Amino acid sequence: MDFGFNLSPSSAVELDKVDTSLFRELCRIEPGARTCIGCGSCSATCTASEHSGMSVRKLLLSLQRGKMRDVEKMLTCCMLCGKCTMVCPRGINTRRIILTVCRLYENVEGRI
Amino acid sequence: MIERMSFPFHPFVLPFLIGMSFVLIYCLYGIVKILVQLTRDERRRFLLSLIKPSTAWKNIKDIFLNCLLHVKLWKRNRMLGFMHSSIAFGWFMIIVLGHVEVMLFLPDRVHLLYYPIFFNFFVAETESTIGGAVLFFLMDFFLLVILTGIVLAMVKRVRSRIFGMRRTTRASFLDTVGLYSLWAIFPLRLLSESFTAHISGGSFLTVPMNWIFRQFLGNDLYYLPTWWAYSIALGIFMAVLPFTRYMHIPAEMMLIPMRNAGLRIMHPRKGFARVQVLSCPGCGVCIDACPMSARKENLKDCTVYLNRQIRRGNEPRIEEISDKCLLCGKCTEVCQVGVDGPALRLAQRSMRKYGINQHYNIIDPEGYIGALGSAKVLYFAGCMTHLTPGIKKSVLSVLDKAGVRYSVMDPDGGLCCGRPMMMAGRWEQTRELIRLNTSIIKASGCDTLLLSCPICYRIFAQKYRLDGIRVVHHSVFFNELSRQGRLAVKRDPELRLAYHDPCELGRGCGIYDEPREAVSAAGVLVEGEKNREESICCGGSLGSITLSYEKRRDITLKSLMNMKAGSPDAIITACPLCSSTFGHYSDIPVKDIAELLDSKS
Amino acid sequence: MENKDQILVIGGGVAGMEAARQLKSLGFKPILVEKGPALGGHVASWNRLFPDMTPVRKVLDPLTSSLEGVEVLLDTTVESVSRSQREYTVVLTRGRVIKCPAIIIATGFKLFEARKKEEYGYGIYDRVITNKDLENWFNTGEDGRVPDRPSAVGFVHCVGSRDIKAGNQQCSKVCCITAIKQAIEVKERFPQAEVYCFYMDLRLFGKKYEDFYINAQRDCGIHFIRGRVSEVAELIDGRVQVKAEDTLSGRPVKVKLDLLVLMSGIVCNPANNHLASELSVPLDEDGFLRSRDNIFSVTESDRPGVFFAGTCTGPKTIPETLSEARGAALGVYNYLKGKK
Repeated sequence: MDFGFNLSPSSAVELDKVDTSLFRELCRIEPGARTCIGCGSCSATCTASEHSGMSVRKLLLSLQRGKMRDVEKMLTCCMLCGKCTMVCPRGINTRRIILTVCRLYENVEGRI
Repeated sequence: MIERMSFPFHPFVLPFLIGMSFVLIYCLYGIVKILVQLTRDERRRFLLSLIKPSTAWKNIKDIFLNCLLHVKLWKRNRMLGFMHSSIAFGWFMIIVLGHVEVMLFLPDRVHLLYYPIFFNFFVAETESTIGGAVLFFLMDFFLLVILTGIVLAMVKRVRSRIFGMRRTTRASFLDTVGLYSLWAIFPLRLLSESFTAHISGGSFLTVPMNWIFRQFLGNDLYYLPTWWAYSIALGIFMAVLPFTRYMHIPAEMMLIPMRNAGLRIMHPRKGFARVQVLSCPGCGVCIDACPMSARKENLKDCTVYLNRQIRRGNEPRIEEISDKCLLCGKCTEVCQVGVDGPALRLAQRSMRKYGINQHYNIIDPEGYIGALGSAKVLYFAGCMTHLTPGIKKSVLSVLDKAGVRYSVMDPDGGLCCGRPMMMAGRWEQTRELIRLNTSIIKASGCDTLLLSCPICYRIFAQKYRLDGIRVVHHSVFFNELSRQGRLAVKRDPELRLAYHDPCELGRGCGIYDEPREAVSAAGVLVEGEKNREESICCGGSLGSITLSYEKRRDITLKSLMNMKAGSPDAIITACPLCSSTFGHYSDIPVKDIAELLDSKS
Repeated sequence: MENKDQILVIGGGVAGMEAARQLKSLGFKPILVEKGPALGGHVASWNRLFPDMTPVRKVLDPLTSSLEGVEVLLDTTVESVSRSQREYTVVLTRGRVIKCPAIIIATGFKLFEARKKEEYGYGIYDRVITNKDLENWFNTGEDGRVPDRPSAVGFVHCVGSRDIKAGNQQCSKVCCITAIKQAIEVKERFPQAEVYCFYMDLRLFGKKYEDFYINAQRDCGIHFIRGRVSEVAELIDGRVQVKAEDTLSGRPVKVKLDLLVLMSGIVCNPANNHLASELSVPLDEDGFLRSRDNIFSVTESDRPGVFFAGTCTGPKTIPETLSEARGAALGVYNYLKGKK
């Protein structure tokens, strides 16, 4: 049926429709991924953030919102230096999260 | 000496013959397979090293000292050393002397594999000779040496603490079979040779035993069962050897020349790695040494179990063990064979496939080069030091006091040195980071690169090619300044300072003395219970991928306890990561060497 | 000797003082033991209190005067405790032995040692102070680290609180509102200064707290930045540069400050460990003393006759502490009435 106009796609993330299987798999491997309180310490201290916008906080959020491309982009310059692990007030093993996400992306090529 | 039998064979030698042939064929096949697995370059280097006189001599020396005399074990614990060398060297001597006997008395039997082993069965003594008596004496003597070793081994089984070992490995089924057959071999040999000593001759052990047996059993000793048993014990040992920890005996003889040839572990299972894994004697010295053993759940994650799981092909466990390790290198340090556990794990990590592969082409080194000064000393604080501003401030303050002109490479944060990537087994990314940093450092025109973080220091010193630029850690540099009198350090004779060796600086780069000298210049140096090569990782290492913050706590507490053995007033270290890790739990001050020297100058 | 009415109150902060006062009015003979040289605890080193900007003296003076006739032992700590059927025998330092049927523990908290969060540079940089230092400066006007005319001042919330690395997982409860109070006070003294608060979450739960927040936003123009500070670096001119992420815009931010105030949190008092083992009352995982339960019997321990008041069981505000002190005193009264 043609109403003579189109609805522009909404910018809202429909949480019930987002595919979070990769995030769930990540949490199975490293349950600490769920305990982020989004304080931003990791992003502020990150050695790679000025190059690729790397931020573990955003990484975890993007995974939960289905923004798979953002994840890939920000991870490209991570140097695994471990500063984010050092500053995290929740003691999250961020380096393991980063390496695990990089590995899990092996299987999500088609999804992006 | 004459041959007692009309035909130089008896069926009882069969078990031994079968076992021995099996082992020989198996090892030959293994050697060929491993040689095939090496890259062409590695293979060439290895084979050339075998004929090069200097390495060939070193190989022989190392094999003699390590495989037979177990020199490294002696240093660890005398009882342990005696137990191992008595069995290994004693056995070696018995085999050699057996051959000497055959060559001397029945030279045309030398080609028979079993003949020197069962010599006493086949011969009869016709007349006593001085030469024969000496040989018989030596045979009995070395048999006695072995038997004392076996007794010690039995004691060790029940009370390993006497041998300086708190924990030992749990033996697998085949290991147990191998162990019991090994224990059985020498008493059975003694029994067999005693039973025939009145025919074939013997010495101070076998002759009196023969006499005693004859008192009980009459003059005609029925000796065949004992010889059968001896041969069967040997046969069983040989047959199970390739599948037990005793495989380390032949493997180590391969490991030593390969290591002397300078080979490196590139693949986690093939080639050199295979030899490393097979060389593990499974003694379990690394269990106590491993800092992770502070938690019971980690007891099976040390190198001896990694080797066992690799041999079993238990992939999930291999992955788990490889990722958990702190890469502190202590297992390699205490291993008498020198199995490089961290390198095996790194190779394992390097095999992984990633869907996102980091690359740094968008990073422009010019941005960093522009901010560089022109001083000859370039200071690179490194990522970790930015989180310990006290260290950074002290380093710069000491440089100012000593009148050293410097520029800072990363005043507002720089690039990572690449060592953390390397510890994740990602060579390609590491190479790229090395390339970027190298271009920045070379553009600075410096002649000295000063580092605060041992993690950086190790890779800058070992993997970077900086063409003559001196790479130096601040503990070494400041010690020089203090010795040259450029930095006046006031010594406080009341201040007790315990120096903690950071893994990357100590075991990683062999720097032990300079930091101690620097600490001694400011106070009284006291040592931790374990120190230098055997110091215990603080638990903060970037080497471990999977250990969570909470689970590192016990490691840190164990290491702290170790440091406090000499009841120091403060713990001094030379690594920002150690210093901040200790700082979370220590009840006495933890300071970096730079902070110490800054406060005392 | 008549010990029946003698009650030992350990700790001379507001909790101990209020408990002693209430015990006295209930007809007991409280003995107040304080390890320091004066009563008042942490509150005594503060200047004004939220939410009404009440001067500290207005709280402490009436408390002190109402303790007239109460035996107060200063510079005294508990050495050992033994328990017989009816009473506790407490050996104090300086050789004093006290027998009493009940004890109120009001040993309070310890302020987190800001030096432990090395990345914030306390004790390393000249322009970094703590909330306590600032209150002290409000009181005395003397602190070389506080510049004469700062143009930018920052507050870091949650220093040593909600931080597993600092060994404290708990929220200190009072730092958010204290930071806002102090930010407003700083702004009042230095109207030209830009004031930044770096927070993870703002937890303004109490009466009038939200009013404070609105006041800080609307009337004082204080900048609230949702992001935890991760690094502080010293500039050549002595100022400090703070790095954080403005998590609401998702951008890293840097700001140069003349003064950085660290909101050191409430952490458990290590002196509790000794007391807890002497009295065999258990410690919680967070190191604070464990109440019998956390709803109905917050001021009661698992031991008969041992009561808690105030922050020895966890972070609390002053009004909460005072209520607990009253609750503990009433608990003692009911406990001993039942025994008669």
